[in-house]
Amino acid sequence: MATSSTTRDLRSSRLADEPASLPALLPGIALLALVGYAGKATEHAINTYAKTHHLTFPNIEYVLWAILFGVLISNTIGLPRIFRAGVATYEFWLKAGIILLGARFVLGDVLKLGGISLSLVFVAITLSILFMTWLGRAFRLSPALTTLLAVGSSICGVSAIIATQGAIDADAISLFAFPVIGHALHMSDHAYGLWAGLAVDNTAEATAAGALYSDAAGKYAVLAKTCRNALIGFVVLAYAIQWSRRGLANAATEAQLQNKAGFLWKKFPKFVLGFLFISLLATLGASSNPTLAALGFNKAQLLALGNLSRWAFLLTFAGVGLRTNLRDLFQQGARPFIVSAVGEIVIAILTLGLILGADRIYHL
Amino acid sequence: MTPRRTLSLDAWAVALSLTLALIVRLGLIKTVPW
Repeated sequence: MATSSTTRDLRSSRLADEPASLPALLPGIALLALVGYAGKATEHAINTYAKTHHLTFPNIEYVLWAILFGVLISNTIGLPRIFRAGVATYEFWLKAGIILLGARFVLGDVLKLGGISLSLVFVAITLSILFMTWLGRAFRLSPALTTLLAVGSSICGVSAIIATQGAIDADAISLFAFPVIGHALHMSDHAYGLWAGLAVDNTAEATAAGALYSDAAGKYAVLAKTCRNALIGFVVLAYAIQWSRRGLANAATEAQLQNKAGFLWKKFPKFVLGFLFISLLATLGASSNPTLAALGFNKAQLLALGNLSRWAFLLTFAGVGLRTNLRDLFQQGARPFIVSAVGEIVIAILTLGLILGADRIYHL
Repeated sequence: MTPRRTLSLDAWAVALSLTLALIVRLGLIKTVPW
């Protein structure tokens, strides 16, 4: 959505003002790797210490350490200019990580889990559109603004609509709250992952919120969030058609509606095709037909690709921490943050209810 | 980020991932530790 991309745009522009050449990206990428690896080393060190001293510590995933180290660096010494362009590549690593994650799903799983995710996404979107439309009418907002709020909050998230430059969105809080709630409710990796993927707005934070719970939950969170991203085009198209029928659409929207397939393609996240391709090769590799199996990946190759995906996510999580600027939150004032947080809490509770309901029926 | 740049980010991510997948498929990288 426009608002969402603008938010991302502003966030990135705070990190990097101009497009950078490859050598200019290297210091920042090296910092991402260093911060991420420090997180991983910390998890390992704590686990080893607990084991040798026969202590029982709760296992804190490396994700939390990577994010915390990132936040610590960017909010104490700050991020020197030389690192900014490279740190902004965390979104690229996120996409590469998702594509390579295809190796950890066979297409049958993608269809089954994707089907459940899609139906839950559909119900969640419908409920939040109804809720926001009701809210918009209750506050006597114009139909256009109500629609923007309804579509925006259900797909992009409330924070994306409200957030302006410098506003920190409530996603950061969900990173810490979600795993605690998940553990308290004894949620399965699958149920928790779906919840994180459905409720957290930003793909990087949704992935991190999932991975904070467990490796498997991270995998499901990515799948659910990717389904949600892939649906954006359809919901926007449905609304554009409705606007056009009511005579509210402008000339540019009317022109775009002439070519609906083109409209959907433009909104479709293309990297998903890469994910599906890798997943197809993973599926072929598991085939009982030797000719088909020879085309796909074998088990060792799938393991290598799955680990490459984990390394790419490691860089992403370091980036999530490094781009979180707590100072901006205090400059911005509490109000936008509170409105955004309340909106996200409502959506989080709504999706949690959905997931727990679905868990009873389908045993996720 | 303009739509054009978003597309190119996707394209770069796909290009890198598929290249890595090809390298692994060809057996040039046997294992990746985690």
